[in-house]
Amino acid sequence: MIRRKILFIGLLGSLFQIFLGCVPLTKTILSPGSPEDLTTCTNVFPVGPWESVHKIEAVITGGVSFSLLGVTRGDPNKRRLHSFLLTPEGFILFEGLLGEDGMTIQKAVSPFDSPAFAGGLMEDVKGLFLPPPGKPARWGRTADGTRVCLWEGPDGFETEFWEAKDQDRQILLRDDLGEVIKEVSLKGPFVNGLASYIELRASKPLPYKLKMTLLQISP
Amino acid sequence: MKRFLFFSIPIIISLLSAEAGSDQEWASLKEAAKNIRSVKSEFLQKRILPILTKPLRSEGRVFFQTPGSLRWEYLNPLRSVMLQKGDTIRLYHFSEGEWKPEMTQAVEVRRMVIAEISRWFQGRFDESKIFKNLYVPGPPVRILLTPKEGVDKFIRRIEIFPGTRPGVIERVEIEEPGGSRTSIEFRKTEINPNLPSEIFEKP
Repeated sequence: MIRRKILFIGLLGSLFQIFLGCVPLTKTILSPGSPEDLTTCTNVFPVGPWESVHKIEAVITGGVSFSLLGVTRGDPNKRRLHSFLLTPEGFILFEGLLGEDGMTIQKAVSPFDSPAFAGGLMEDVKGLFLPPPGKPARWGRTADGTRVCLWEGPDGFETEFWEAKDQDRQILLRDDLGEVIKEVSLKGPFVNGLASYIELRASKPLPYKLKMTLLQISP
Repeated sequence: MKRFLFFSIPIIISLLSAEAGSDQEWASLKEAAKNIRSVKSEFLQKRILPILTKPLRSEGRVFFQTPGSLRWEYLNPLRSVMLQKGDTIRLYHFSEGEWKPEMTQAVEVRRMVIAEISRWFQGRFDESKIFKNLYVPGPPVRILLTPKEGVDKFIRRIEIFPGTRPGVIERVEIEEPGGSRTSIEFRKTEINPNLPSEIFEKP
């Protein structure tokens, strides 16, 4: 009987861990964060101008997949990003610029030329490399010591940042109903705030998966 | 006036003979390529983008066989291959432990490029429908390809540097509008090796 109880509690614990990412942060009990935790909420993103090259493997609707090279130059202080997508041969398929004035598409070859695709692409780049604007609405630690920061967007969307003790990080984007629509897993080692490996899973409006491996970073 | 004529005649003669010499060199370069049945080579590609401080390096290998078979393969950082056998061109990328057919992204542009490369290995520079060619005696000797209307939005010019061995291409430089450039250096080139036909059929 006691063994059954232990098994049940263990199973419950595992299920809790599995579903932790799906529970809105507003319902997760957090111990109040220190001012130091607040500073580290934004320090997990690159600080100062940087440039990177990633290998990108994408799987989109219908199992269609492609491999590309992603080149990005960022300036977090100006909240500016300049991104390129290239074929393995080096053809530029997409060039987009994101700044304080909004987004500009400099070059786009089909199917990257659709406004929805281009906008979504730059949104993903922004979500991966720039912290959400402003101060987090909430921050703290869970019972197991995982550091959590939450930003509230003007549209009711929320961005959550989770950092476990083993330094693996996760970014969750929730819609206004509290449902996770994008889940990003960031694996170390981290170089100048950039993860060596990133996996992005989007579920809405269309499901897709991106796997990004860091190849080159400067400075 | 007489003195002017006296000096200008040798200059004109030397210019004419230089032009005749370069015509001859150009013809012999194309003639040497006619003896090529197959080519196997490795390459190092450097992509220079104005926003990157360090060039983007890729390594790969190329196999060519007359009349129209080509395998252009990247080994890193992305593993991908373009296969041409006759009029059939297929593109694949290696992902999650297997070769997958390429469905999207500028497939037509890549088909056009593979057809061009195939012509370069055969010395058929003047058969291109999208590039005008010019032989530059140098040094260094090079073939200058300038795009006709339409393609000039993507490529400003291509320079092909032949090696000292007949029929061998040493380097290709591609210049794009906006300051981007690509340099491809060929090494360990073998001329007329025996190549199994499946190299051009399967990734």
